Amino acid sequence: MGRRRASGSLESEVLASLWAADEPMTAGEVADALGAGLAYNTVQTILSRLHAKGAVHREQHGRAHSYTPVLDEAGLAAHRMRAMLDRGGDHAAVLNRFLGTLSAEEESTLAGLLRREHRTGAGG
Amino acid sequence: MNLSVYVPLLLTAAFGLVAPGAARRLPPAVATWLLGVGGLLAATASAAALTLLGMTLVGQSPLLAAEGHWSHTALRHADPVSLPLAAAALAVLAVLTGRVLVAGVRRATALRDAFTLAAGLPTSGGELAVLDDPREMAYAVPGRPGRIAVSAALLRRLDAAERRALLAHERSHLVHHHHVHQSLAVLAAATNPLLCRLPDAVALSTERWADEDAAGTGRRGTVATLLTRTAAAAGVQARPSVVLAAALTHVTARVAALHAPAPRLAVWRVVVLLGLLAASAAALLNAANELERVFEFAQSAYLLGGR
Repeated sequence: MGRRRASGSLESEVLASLWAADEPMTAGEVADALGAGLAYNTVQTILSRLHAKGAVHREQHGRAHSYTPVLDEAGLAAHRMRAMLDRGGDHAAVLNRFLGTLSAEEESTLAGLLRREHRTGAGG
Repeated sequence: MNLSVYVPLLLTAAFGLVAPGAARRLPPAVATWLLGVGGLLAATASAAALTLLGMTLVGQSPLLAAEGHWSHTALRHADPVSLPLAAAALAVLAVLTGRVLVAGVRRATALRDAFTLAAGLPTSGGELAVLDDPREMAYAVPGRPGRIAVSAALLRRLDAAERRALLAHERSHLVHHHHVHQSLAVLAAATNPLLCRLPDAVALSTERWADEDAAGTGRRGTVATLLTRTAAAAGVQARPSVVLAAALTHVTARVAALHAPAPRLAVWRVVVLLGLLAASAAALLNAANELERVFEFAQSAYLLGGR
């Protein structure tokens, strides 16, 4: 075990250990925390990939980089709104009331997003 | 019609009785497949048996008989199924159809909610979405792709081996499509109330399946500890029912299974379950042949001038 884990699951493990730590971690620290004989280079590659995706924040820390997990605020807010909507009741009524609370500016943003969604056919 | 038409009903009841034991004792992947797909087959066979019983009454309608060119009086005399019994079979069948429709719609709605939820989770972390939530919780959300949602609070409380086990557990739910097996069990129970304990049995077998996969990443004891710890803190919150929450069900049975060695395949349990299904199918086939014979008799009576 250990070495042959899929890269997707390693990515999750690296991200999870950054979240579990209280402070920024270097690639070496992450490799130590994960144990199980993971090569430093493997961890470094995964951290770079996570950084490219915006999942972690990177800063220079002496000679090495240190990493902290990034909270996806917009994604989480959307997730919470979705969960509230799913909690039950009449979706149309809830959305209708919600629209009533939007400012004119927010309404036009929403309309623009919906138009773009329709054009690209990425609905659902 | 002979007695074989009642056999599928009896065997389905037997299937429902042995299901919980199979979910506890068989290797969980085997148990899940046998109980999910097998349960639905058993339920379908029992519904088909009720249909055969009901057809003896439907066939006695003069209108239908004229249409199908058989003699409804000959059918009545040839068939030993009493009228009230056939009528009861039809009534039960109608109620069950309603139950299946309700369960199907409910399940589809829950699945759709789960897929929407999965699509709405933050995506930067790949399969893992970390929720900045003070409650300790973890769940797998089926979707395209399925996602693993874990709260930061829970991640902070676990050590590296436990985190690895937790992720492997949730990933197992997604990779093996446990929500599909559970849907089959729910539909089976709706089709035949004698299988009412089946969804619970499949919930246990899928959780054990995920536990065994998690144990594959390290020691069995790690998963047992993880289970006990997260179960005590499991956050109860509103979420679609298809979302598979870790550690909420059957904690005692699962911890016991983890303290024992990895489960060995008890062949006799598989033979019993498959035997019940095979016997059920054979009896159903026999009853269907019998009914066909009765209808053929009524058709020849019609040709001879009887109505």
